[in-house]
This record gives sequence, C-alpha cells and structure tokens, in this order.
Amino acid sequence: MERRQFLRSGAALVAGSALSSCGGGSGDGEAGTSGPASAGPGGLTSTPPARPKARVIVVGGGMAGVTSAKYLRLWGDAVDVTLVAPAPKYTSCILSSLVLTGQRTLSSLEFGYTALRDRYGVRTVFDTATRIDPVTARVTLASGAVLAADRIVLAPGIDFDPVAGLSDPLAMPHAWKAGPQTTALARQLAEMPSAGVAVLTIPKAPYRCPPGPYERACLLADWMRVHRPRGKLIVLDGNPDFVAEKDNFGRAFFELYATIIEYRTDVIIDHVDMASRTLFTDSGAVRGDVINLIPTQRASALVCRSGLANATEGRFAAVDVLSYASTAAPRVHVIGDASATTQPKAGHIANQEAKVCADALSRIFAGAAPDPAPVTNSACFSTITMSQASWLQAVFQYSTQLRAMQAVPAASGASNGWNGDHFEDMTRWFGALMADSFA
Amino acid sequence: MSFDLPRPRWVLLVLAAITGAAQAQDAPAGRLLASNCFQCHGTNGKGPGFEKLAGKSANDIYHELVEMRAGKEGDGLMARHAMGYSDVQLRAIALYLGSRR
Repeated sequence: MERRQFLRSGAALVAGSALSSCGGGSGDGEAGTSGPASAGPGGLTSTPPARPKARVIVVGGGMAGVTSAKYLRLWGDAVDVTLVAPAPKYTSCILSSLVLTGQRTLSSLEFGYTALRDRYGVRTVFDTATRIDPVTARVTLASGAVLAADRIVLAPGIDFDPVAGLSDPLAMPHAWKAGPQTTALARQLAEMPSAGVAVLTIPKAPYRCPPGPYERACLLADWMRVHRPRGKLIVLDGNPDFVAEKDNFGRAFFELYATIIEYRTDVIIDHVDMASRTLFTDSGAVRGDVINLIPTQRASALVCRSGLANATEGRFAAVDVLSYASTAAPRVHVIGDASATTQPKAGHIANQEAKVCADALSRIFAGAAPDPAPVTNSACFSTITMSQASWLQAVFQYSTQLRAMQAVPAASGASNGWNGDHFEDMTRWFGALMADSFA
Repeated sequence: MSFDLPRPRWVLLVLAAITGAAQAQDAPAGRLLASNCFQCHGTNGKGPGFEKLAGKSANDIYHELVEMRAGKEGDGLMARHAMGYSDVQLRAIALYLGSRR
C-alpha cells in the first residue's frame, strides 16, 4: 500500500533532541481530568509505537495540528506521530479579545504539549518547518534536519497580506494571532485619550473566525462605554454586510452601541501612514488614535511555497474533505484555516476537521477507504458585552453530489440575543474544547 | 415509540449504514460521528465540559438527542446541533457513546 520512505536516523535524531528540551510549562492543567490514555489497538497509547505501521508528521501547533496528532495516536493502529510546533507554548486566539479589555491575561490562554507527549506518545519537535516535499513526504526544518514519513498533515494556519506603508507591524496591530500583537493593542487602547477614536478593520472573507471581528467590536464598544464614554469606534468592513450572525451583531451595532460604533461597509484599505495614524481607503482617509488593522489572509507561506495553495485565487489549499488530502499532493493533508472548504476558518471546527483527517488516515493505513459520510460541527460564543454573549452553531454533512461539506440549514443558526448564561457557557466551552485538543 | 438499545437487528442496520462501502477494519461504527460531541463533552464524553456522557446508556442518550431535535428541550445550542443529524446517525452516536465507560 504505502511506500515507506523513512529517514530513520534523521527523524530519531531530531525527535530525540527535542524530547530533552520540550519540558516547557503549560497552561493546560485545568483541562487534565481524563486520566491516562487507555490502551489503543496497537498497544499503550502513551509511548510511541516500537514497531510503527505508519509514520505521520504533523506541522502546526494550533487547534487543528494538536487534535490530529492526539487522535492519530488514539485511533490509529501503531501510528508514529511527530508534531512540529514553532514553540513549546501555544497562545489561544479564542478568548484573546478579552485580553484587550483586561478580563483575561495572555498567560491564561497558554497551552503546552506535554499531555500530547506524555499521555499520547506524540513526538514533539519545536522548530519551524521551512519546506516540504509533497511527493516524498519530507519536511525540512529551520535547524536543517529533514523528517520523512508516509503522510504529512499540514496545519500551519494563516499568514497576513502585507499592508503598504505598515513597516512596523506593531504600529497598527492586528491582534489576530494572540501574543505580542495582543499586548500591543491592549497597551494602545489603555493609552487612548478620553475622546479618542479607535478604528477596527475587517478583511474581505475568507478570514479566520468569521464572527470574531464583530465580537471584538462589540466588546471594545462596551469597554469604551465605561472607560472612554466620549470615544468612538469606527468599524471598516471589507465586506458588503456582516459576514456572520447578522441579527445579533446588527442589533448590537445599531441599537446597543448606536452612539459609539460607526459601521461602514465595502471599505478596502489601499495603504496606511503610520506617523499620522491614517488609513487611506477606496472611500477616503480615516484617522484614528488606535488602529486595529486586520489584514486580508491566506494560507501560511509554507502551503503557498509548496504549491498547495490552489484554491481561492491561490490563497488557500484545495482538499478532498473525506480525508483532507491536498488535491495537488495526495500524501499531504491540509486541515484547519489553511485549507479551502465550505466550512468556517475557526478553532472548534478545525478540531473536528482534524478528527476526520485522523480517522481517514487510520483507515487508509489499515488498507481501507475514508468514511464516505463525515460530519463536522462548528460552535462558538461571541461576547456582545463584557459580561454577556451569544452563540452560533452549524453542522456540516458531506454531500456526494457537491463533494463538499454542506451546512444543514435546520442546524445552522445563532441564539436569539445574548445573556450572562451564554457568557458562562463560553468559558466552559473554551475549557472543554482546549482539553479535547491539548489534554 | 421506544427503542431498547442495543437491539441486535437495528444495530446491524446502523453498522451497515455507517460503514457502507468503506468496510474499515478498525474504525468502530459511530466513532467519528460521536467525536462531534467531544469538543464540549470531553474526549470520549468523559469531560471536562458540559454534561458528562460516558457512563450513560445508549438508550438514554438516543432519547435525549431525539427530544432535543424535536425542540422539546428549548431552542438552545444543543437543540440546533441535534437537528444536524439523521435518525440513523443519532443512533450510531448514542451506541458509541453508550459503550464508553
């Protein structure tokens, strides 16, 4: 079946050296209630298989990558899994807008890879994948090491398009990947004058987390209502209308925050001037004291460089959603925000895409075909105020006619309004989702 | 109408419906479908998160899902979610979760 090409010494060397250096702290303690993994079909899950029947390299330490690594070990029969993550800690984008209002710390959003390694026997390598060979399934790391496997799972997430005039990325932070960008935006907001103007820009779809920018706008508007009552928030949307959850966000923008939010649609940013904090758009110049500029997005450069970004005008990777195999390279599977599917780019559904991929690979390695009727779901909560949230939910079934995941209309929708109970559910959902992915 | 799970005849029907032509050797029926529950109810339904599902009977899980899908338990997120599955799929999910301990 699978042609095996192992570079045993190289893989062992890199994996071995990583094991000694990956004892970084982790924030996933709250999630660890499920106890040690039970014995899988190929023996104990907690250590890598002595005689692997197949090898997989997972590139990416976010929601999609970790979930695929964990479930490949849980469900695969003696599958050797190496996870290549850029750093020993992952900072969750989910809930990171609450850092801007001072309601969460970045460290409360940090998750480590120790459970993957100790509980599920995933080899962890902290390095950056610089190149992949999609034909021979080899991954070259920044350190120079080369890993080889039967299959590669790519989950590297998104990159941002450059913005003309924005030479310092922290001058107008996107804060759309949690970390220093988030800290920078939080500081700028804290320093904003009392009658200051904040600007939030929303990129043309598709982008990561469709409701995310609107949720952030609501959260910032509520924060301004309390802390900068004379301030204003201008939302420049690159799309013709709300991309998600129109009923709730529309009510929030036009009723709850009518005196704070000014919402403009179909606005495309051409270039910026950092010194005067000005955005030059196709409908005029907009100045702000704080500018949260979320640029247009594409699959990580690694995907583009590997020739896999063959959809969405060359921005994202086309895949067969039965297994997430790239349509350009059948031994490379692309999951999460880097792939082009009918599903939203978001953490909860990335977790489920990862399970579909892991299940498909476990069947393929056993000589069978992927499940012909996979189902995925997306669920999330949006902060409409600093203490109330709404929810948004969708189920996708595989359509044999379209050869794509298709949203089930009856199962797709949002809460009717927002309340404090949903806000509490949001916190619980986050803990559960992160545990299913990282713990 | 009630179902007493597991009842061999429909179990076989469910198995046949799910595995279809794939004939996966080592992928238990309902496993991938049921994993849609894990994001909120924990891996294998064992928590942490919302209501723990492992340890409940397949019968109870199936009936809860059917009631949710019928809107008998309000118009919450879980009611919406349950509407995304066919009856055969709900049974497969219930059977798999009912086998988790």
